This record gives sequence, structure tokens and C-alpha cells, in this order.
Amino acid sequence: MSRERVITNLQQAVYLLNFVVVCLVAGSMTLSIFRIVDAMNAEAFLSLIQVRPWRPWTILVMSVAGYLYLVLCSCLGQFWEDKGRYVRFLITFWEMVLCIGTTVAMNMNYDGLVLLVVADLVRGQKGSRQKLILGIAVVGLYTIVNYNLIGPYFNMIPWDVFLTAYRASTQAFLRGSLSVLSSMNLVLFILYMTMLIQDEYQERERIQNLNEQLAQANQKLKEYAAEAEKNAEIRERNRLAREIHDTLGHSLTGIVAGIDACLTMLDISPEATKKQLVKIGDVARQGMTDVRRSVRKLRPDALEKLDLEEAVVKMLRDTQAASGARIHFQNQAGSLKFHEDEEEVLYRVVQEATTNAIRHGHAGEIWISISMAEQWLTIHVKDNGTGCEHVTEGFGLKHMQERLNLLEGTLEYGNQEGFFIIARIPIRWGEEHS
Amino acid sequence: MRYKRGRMAWIPMAVGLLLLVTIGGCAVIRIRAESQGTVLHFGMIAGSYWGVPTGNCYEVIDAAIRRFEEKHPGVRVEYTSGILKEDYPEWLSEQILLGKEPDVFMIPEGELDILASLGILKRLEPLIQKDESFESEAYYQGAYRYGNIRDAQYALPYESVPTLMFVNKTLLDQEGIAMPGEVWTWDDFLSLCSQVTRDTDGDGVTDQFGCFDYGWQEAVASNGVSLFEKDGTLCYFADSRVDAAIRFIRELNRINGGYTVTAREFDQGKVAFRPFAFSEYRTYKPYPWRIKKYSDFEWDCVRLPAGPDGKGQSRLDTLLMGISSRSRQEHLAWEFLKELCYEEETQIHLLEVSQGMPALRRAVESPLLKQVLGNDIPGSGNMDVDIIRQVMEEAVETPGFRQYPAVISQADSVIQGIISGEISIDSGLLKLQREINGVLRQ
Repeated sequence: MSRERVITNLQQAVYLLNFVVVCLVAGSMTLSIFRIVDAMNAEAFLSLIQVRPWRPWTILVMSVAGYLYLVLCSCLGQFWEDKGRYVRFLITFWEMVLCIGTTVAMNMNYDGLVLLVVADLVRGQKGSRQKLILGIAVVGLYTIVNYNLIGPYFNMIPWDVFLTAYRASTQAFLRGSLSVLSSMNLVLFILYMTMLIQDEYQERERIQNLNEQLAQANQKLKEYAAEAEKNAEIRERNRLAREIHDTLGHSLTGIVAGIDACLTMLDISPEATKKQLVKIGDVARQGMTDVRRSVRKLRPDALEKLDLEEAVVKMLRDTQAASGARIHFQNQAGSLKFHEDEEEVLYRVVQEATTNAIRHGHAGEIWISISMAEQWLTIHVKDNGTGCEHVTEGFGLKHMQERLNLLEGTLEYGNQEGFFIIARIPIRWGEEHS
Repeated sequence: MRYKRGRMAWIPMAVGLLLLVTIGGCAVIRIRAESQGTVLHFGMIAGSYWGVPTGNCYEVIDAAIRRFEEKHPGVRVEYTSGILKEDYPEWLSEQILLGKEPDVFMIPEGELDILASLGILKRLEPLIQKDESFESEAYYQGAYRYGNIRDAQYALPYESVPTLMFVNKTLLDQEGIAMPGEVWTWDDFLSLCSQVTRDTDGDGVTDQFGCFDYGWQEAVASNGVSLFEKDGTLCYFADSRVDAAIRFIRELNRINGGYTVTAREFDQGKVAFRPFAFSEYRTYKPYPWRIKKYSDFEWDCVRLPAGPDGKGQSRLDTLLMGISSRSRQEHLAWEFLKELCYEEETQIHLLEVSQGMPALRRAVESPLLKQVLGNDIPGSGNMDVDIIRQVMEEAVETPGFRQYPAVISQADSVIQGIISGEISIDSGLLKLQREINGVLRQ
């Protein structure tokens, strides 16, 4: 028999057992009233109990109906286990109400129904806060339904008083039955709880196992990623080497060979040497073209396909989408059409400054403006981030500085309600229009 | 527990079925109740509540029911006949246990407190407040207060029986003594008793006595003392007026010379005074019962003698009626209760045929009372209607709290000891008060 099946059977046994107890207690109460009336002991009985009991049939019907509803509520709770917090809360609430109602109908002469509700509560609880609520609920329920504690204040009639209507042997039998059934109920409850807790423990173990497996898989994935990166780098290096070998190597070899030939030929035939030098010049130029082509292959994709402004706007838009920071871009320099190297530096400076603002400054908003005054192109990047107390020239700033130096540009940066960068690039106007 | 859905499909069906059964059950009960029409149940004692022979005990009730059913078409009033006074408390308890207690019922003697505290009786204040035609001042307050427990009105008085002083007129005439006046005191009573107490036939044995059955409780009442707080939480046995009453009883006993007068001597006409319930007066005064008892002498009733601090108040017993707190027809039950206890016609009818006294002023003060009393008494002495009125007005109600019977019998045995001189009067009463207060506090 599977575990689940055992738990199900246990629960059904608890339901059945409690049904028998409810029938026994409520039935004996109902019957005893009729017996008392038949024996004409009503006046003595009333003055003994000092309260007015419910109508005899009401006791039985209310107890049994209340109990059946309680069982149904409990089953509904399992049926709707995954319907969310409110449904569960509602069902638990009704279970408690029905438990208290049924117990009161039996004049608090049986408190075993609480165990049934407690079992359902334990099954449904999740999280430590709910554990606290559960604890309070259990203590509260037990208090409410325990005759010895509060019964006398609520006009409840002890079972023993009802039992006086029976012969001594019948009384002993009824008392014994209730005692045995109560104990059985308790045993079944403990068994059930043990199974439940074991179940939960196994579940937790399973989840822990899965977690470990997941962590291992993650680690492997990281290793793969590092390896793949390394491979890509090697591949790129090989490509570069090949490229250099194919273009620059080829041209330089040609040039070296040509110059060697020129040196030998110079004294013999200056004319031929001149021709040779022209050829060498062609090879050098061809080499130059090849180098340019190779370099172009290394440029950012966006710049390759789009013009500078579009590329910058696209990059900023992507960054904004990826990081969630608001980026304001303002171009006051008119058409952005420069030399490739200048364009690339501009693109890289904007990219690096934005990345820094988001990564190091945790900025929510970034203002970028590009302006032109005489031959100086100025890039101004400002953010509302945390800034930087001690500006250590990280990789980004150092790179930026190097790139700008190549173009004889300058870089300024500092804190001012955030972090700001001002980069200036001298533009070679003459060539722009060429 | 993770059930499979398929196996749990019966749950919604079961819920539906159970709901259906519940609703169906309620509907069936409702329809059955309605098909029976509106029925009001009434619980009553057959025979006389006052322990005297009576004629048709259902006459007044039947007439009242007839009138009520005419006023409320479609309503039937049913009652179980033939339950005698001694069986009535058991019968009522059985009905309560079975949940079938009548909507309106007579309250057995001394059970008002227990019925009220069991929650069986409905509190009448809300009904009284809603009903503008009802005024509690219409009742003699002694009788009305009878239905009050712990400041809550649970019942209305149906009829009352005051205690009067029976006077053997023949004996007084023989002795040449005039009837006591309207106001007479303990001193008058003592002097009359000592005058009549003597040996008439000269055999050396006293054979004519002053009074019979006059005990300390009568003396205490007529001296204006209430022994208990209304809610039964305190008692006042150490009151100086109780002291005086007991000394008065000792005095009375001294006149008899230690002889205990019996009912036989009274019946033979050898006793001048006896406290007497009005119901017995009504029963034995007229024909035919007159022949059966007290036929050898003329007799009449006066108020009880007044103590130095009292006005001659006497005990008033009252038959109460209340409404079940579980009655489904609260309004009709109240109307029926009023038909019995508040309607002049019923109460006057009661005056005509019953041995008690209506508790309603209007009925008692109607000209009929004089006529009825006059009719009852062929020829001989007439009863002063004013005496009855005064007695009703000033009467002391028997406390209704639960421990009263036990407590009063405990007090009686101690006080009998005091009267006989076994116990010292001062310390005895103080000790009694302390003991009884202890019992009442429990």
C-alpha cells in the first residue's frame, strides 16, 4: 500500500470514528431526555442541571448535521487545496465554526473534533507566521471546546448528568465506549500527524536534492561560458594574425623584396628602379587599403551599417531598455559626419560613459549632449547617480583617455550632483569635406 | 494529503446533497407547522390552585379562550386538562425537557426564580414597553411585584389570595367582646386572647383559646419587616422589629400556658382567632361547603393585628402566568396572557367563580365584589370590601428566590428554638442572620 493511500485511509478512519462518537454522545443525550421524561424525573433533573437543555431531537440532529458539514468542509479544503489563500482561510474559518458548533450541540462533552480541525490546519499551513497562527488557533479551539474550562459558564450540561437516566451497567458501558473511542481517535490523530510530518520531511529532502543538482548544473554552465569566451578570443586572435599576415605581411614582404631589388638595380638602371619604386608604392597603397578593410571589420556593427547619430541613438535606446535608466540625448552639433576614427571614438566615449554611470553610479537618469564650437567637438555626459568619492581611473576612463589622446583630444571628469564627463575632440575639418 | 481529483469528485455532489436535505428538512417542518394553523398552547392546573374544593375549574379559562379566539380569527388555543396541582411541576418540567412547553402557562408555586434563571420564561418588559394599552399600575402592586425577580418582570398575576384574620364571632359574643375594629394592634390582640383563654367547663383544664396557627412569620409581616432582600442576597433577622415580633409570639404562647392548640379545637369553635387564606373564606363561607366545616359558629374576617412598626400587613399568595421564551408566537402569547390576566371581563369572571381574588384593581373595585361577597354570605355578617382592598395593596409577597424554601425552614427551626426559650433571642437572631447570609451568598 502506498504512503498516500495509508494517509487517506487513516483520515477516513478518523472521520468514521468521530462520526460514531458524535452519534454515541448526542444519541445518548437525546435518549436520556426521553428516559427521564418516561421515568417522571423531569423536575428533579431540571433542578439538578439548572439550565434548560436543547430539545432532544435538536441535540441529535444539530450534532450529526454539524459534524457532517464539518467533514464536508474538511474534504472541500483538500479538493480546493490550490485555490489560493482566501479560499483556504474561508474553509478553515468554517471548519472552526462548525467544530465549535457541533461541540456545543453536544454540550462540550466531546472535544476530539478539534483534532480533526488541527490535522487540517497542519496540512494547510505554510511558513513560520502561519505556524504562530496555527498555534494560537489550536490553543483557542481547545479552550473553547473544553468543558472543564468554560463549560459551566456557558450553561453546558455534563454528560454524566445525562447518563444518570441509564442503569449503572449501561452507564459503565457508555462511559467505557466513549473513553476507548476517544483514545482511538487520539492514536489515529498522532499516527496521521506522524505520516504527514514524515511526508513533509521527505518533500523537503527532495527539494534540497533538486537544489543541489541545480547548483551543480549552474557551475558547469559557468565553466562552459568561460571556455567559450576563451575560444572566441583565440579564434579572434587567429583571425587577426591571419588578417595581418594576409594583408600587411603580404604587402610588407612585397615592399621589402621590391626595395631590395631597387637597391641592387639603383646603380645599373635608375629608370628601372624608378619604375620599381612606383610598383612598391602601389603595393604599399594596396596594403594600406587592405589594412583599412581589416580595421573596418573590427568596428562596431552599428557604425558599420548606420551613420553615427543613428548608431548612438540606437545604442542609447538599447541601454535604456536594458538598464531601466532614463537617458536624455541631445545633439546640438548638427549633422554628425566625421572621420571613421573620430566617429568611433565619439561612439565609444558615449557608450563607456553611459555604462559607467549605470554600473558604478547606479544612475536613474543620464543627460548626454554633443556640441560643436569651432573645431572642437564636445561630449558632455552627466548623471544623477551616486558619483564617485575618489575617482580611480578604472579601465573605462583609462581607455577613454587613450582613445582621445590618439586624436589629441582631452578628457575632464568629476562629481557634481552625480558624475560628469566632458570629452573634447579636435575635428579635422579639411578632410571632412574631402 | 494529495488526493487525485477524480476520486474527490463526490465532494461537491455530497455538499449539494447535504444542503438539499437540510433545506428540504426545514421546508417540511415549516409546511407541517403551517398546515396545523396557528395554535397557542396553554398550560394550566386543574382543580384549585389554593387547595380548596372547587367547581368547574375550566370555566374562566374556557370563556377567556373563547373571547380570545373571537378576537383573533384563525388562532386556536389548546390546553391539556386534568393536570392536578401536585403533578403540574413535573408535567411542566417534562414539557420543558421535550421542548414542548406551552406558550403561556401557570407558574408553579415558588418556581418563578428557577424558571426565570433557566431562561424558560420570557422577560416581559419589552412586550410591556411596546404595548401602550398595558399599565402595571392597574394591578395591586403586592401582586404585581410577585412576578418580579431581580428587577425583571417575568410573569403577570392571575389571581391572588391574601391572608386575613379569621374571627369566631360566636365565641366573642359569648364572652361579651366586640369584634376588633379596622385597625387593631398586637396589644389589642394580646388582651383579647387573654380574655378568651380560660377553662369554660370548670374541669381545671383550659379549653378555650385565643389563637391558632399564628406564627412568627405572620407577626414579622404585620410588623412591616421584609426578612429578605428582594433578590435573595441578604437577610435581616437581626432587625429589632423581628426581635419585637418574636417577643410578641412568646407572649401569645405564654397566654396558652404552653398548650399547643390544634386544628380540631379550632373546628370545634373553641378558638377565637386564626390567620386564614381568603380562598378558604370564599370556599367555606357559602353553601354547600359551609355545612361541611365551621358550621357550629358564626365567623368573619378582619385584618391581622398591626405590630408597633407595621400596619398589619399579611402574606399574599399569587398565581402567576408567564410566556415561554421559546414561544414562536410571542405577540399572540402576550395578547392571550393579557386576555387572562389583564382583561377586566376575565378577572371579574374570576371574582365570580374562583376562590381567589383578582389581582386587577378594576375588577376588585367593581361593584360586583360587594355583590359577590354579599351573595356568598346568607344573612350573617358581611365582609368589608375595603379590608380586602387594603390587604391587597399592602400585602407582603412571599419571596420567590431559589433558596427561599430551604432558608426559611432553617430559620423556622432556629426561631422555634428561640420562642421556646432554648436559644437566647439576641445572640440567636444575630447568629441566624450570619448563617443565612452565608447560605445566600453561595
